[in-house]
Amino acid sequence: MFDTSLVGAQPAIEVRDLRRSYGEVHAVAGISFEVARGEVFCLLGPNGAGKTTTVEILEGYRSRNGGEVRVLGIDPASGSRELRDRTGIVLQQCGVQSDLTVAELIEMYGRYYTRRRAVDELIELVDLAGKRDVRAKKLSGGQRRRLDLALALVGDPDVVFLDEPTTGFDPAARRGAWSTVRSLCELGKTVFLTTHFMDEAQTLADRVAIMRAGEIIAIGRPDELGGRDLRPAEIRFLLPAGWSLGDLPELPDVERSLQGDRVLVVTREPVRTANAITGWALERGVELERFSVTQPTLEDIYLELTGAAEPPDRVSSATEEAIV
Amino acid sequence: MSALTSRTESRGVSRRDLSLVLWQVRYEQRAYWRNRGRGVFTFVFPVMFLVIFGSLNTNSHLRSLGGISYDTFFVPGILAYGVIATTYVNMAISTAILRDEGVLKRMQGTPLPRWAYVTARIASTVLIVGAMTVVTLGIGVIAYGVHIRAATLPGLILTLILGTAAFTTLGIGITRFTPNADAAPVIVNLTVLPLTFISSIWFPTTTMPKALIDVAKFFPIRPLADGLEYAFNPHTAGAGFNGGDLRSLAIWTVVGVFLMLRFLRQPQGEVV
Repeated sequence: MFDTSLVGAQPAIEVRDLRRSYGEVHAVAGISFEVARGEVFCLLGPNGAGKTTTVEILEGYRSRNGGEVRVLGIDPASGSRELRDRTGIVLQQCGVQSDLTVAELIEMYGRYYTRRRAVDELIELVDLAGKRDVRAKKLSGGQRRRLDLALALVGDPDVVFLDEPTTGFDPAARRGAWSTVRSLCELGKTVFLTTHFMDEAQTLADRVAIMRAGEIIAIGRPDELGGRDLRPAEIRFLLPAGWSLGDLPELPDVERSLQGDRVLVVTREPVRTANAITGWALERGVELERFSVTQPTLEDIYLELTGAAEPPDRVSSATEEAIV
Repeated sequence: MSALTSRTESRGVSRRDLSLVLWQVRYEQRAYWRNRGRGVFTFVFPVMFLVIFGSLNTNSHLRSLGGISYDTFFVPGILAYGVIATTYVNMAISTAILRDEGVLKRMQGTPLPRWAYVTARIASTVLIVGAMTVVTLGIGVIAYGVHIRAATLPGLILTLILGTAAFTTLGIGITRFTPNADAAPVIVNLTVLPLTFISSIWFPTTTMPKALIDVAKFFPIRPLADGLEYAFNPHTAGAGFNGGDLRSLAIWTVVGVFLMLRFLRQPQGEVV
């Protein structure tokens, strides 16, 4: 997803030892990270972890107590107009002049920027064509969020901040917003995203940082975060009638157990193990019902890292099923 | 705070910024006239009071004010009330709503300079005051036979300008003290309505106790009403400048600008 022509260029966002406290509370307790140009970077974390404080410092809305912050090489605390000209912001719960229509608002905000995108092109992009001449106060929650997105993109920004952009969307609208974000990174835009939705982070982000209590506790590609790619996989299927656990083929480094009538096989080599089991079943003409192979999901890793769940009980935790 | 120095903004006002102000005025106007609720509260009320009170007291004269007709007293009083409604009341309520709904925060995140946005909001308000003045005086002249005197026109205009300046800036500035948008109409009514009764808006207050007159004269409503009535009073000599009233309005403008700047300097991100 990276634009190779920008490799080696200055990062879009640089944060070094950022600190912000409110009295005794360390909302952000010394975090560091960089976001490359053209990257989609996602900040995940429970409420109160310091996500919004971090984003709002990057956007120039809040001051910091310590550390260095640069967005496009500019300190957002300087209130630089040039920086605001090149960034687009979707805030949580942020109103508009609600007596103006969708088209009027996009037109009005567009004029503030040196570059701007065409009104109808943006309306099309966020799928509000049917609401073009409707006043903002008459829009539904999801339509308002789409208008927010359009207003964030109206200045054709280099960096886009999206603070929980799809909250309140129905599934179809979320997929629409995701494809909009993907089209942004195809254009080489940098996207800084916070979200509560694991699938959103999984689908959109090049890299994810997980925050807890003001600190970043894990950072990396969504499929590698917290050693996710190194965790054992789990194979499950119904024990075929007339067979017992001991009849299954013996395999090295594999744990087998029976949970009710379901067989659970934990393996670090899912392909080899699955092949051995299915080969065994095919030879004997046995049907393995509800056969599945799963890896721990981003959500499993997230819950484990943020301490929101006990060390995972692999059977009961929600898993993303890749049904074979 | 930071070791690396950041680029500083050029402080000059460019032609592009001025055209941005005009651009914003257009949209502020559109939003104002479209919002029926605000239009009623700030524009229709004063006009309605003008018609009601004017109709109740036709052909009466005020001996306490040298025998001038009631209308000559009442039309400038309502004009003063109209100025306050379209500036102070309008600004105090709409700014609290813009703040609570996060519009001010959103505007702060755009490249539109804050001064340009505020200037456009004020300029838009001045246009509304102009419309209010035309409607009020138009009805006063046509329906109630009030005379606009050429001699005192300078006084009338200067009083209107200072009144608009004082009440617009006070309206923005008071937002600092309104906890939320729901409280704004309450605070506005509490600060305006009681004072109008002792400020010669609805009826003359010549027989009022001295202490109440002093209270009324301390606040800016009475100076605005008195200043406008002075310009309309047929007994007024000269250009219609009532020094004491103008001085009071000027002082309240300074207070208003001070409060407005204090409100505007708060970063919106830290408020919510």
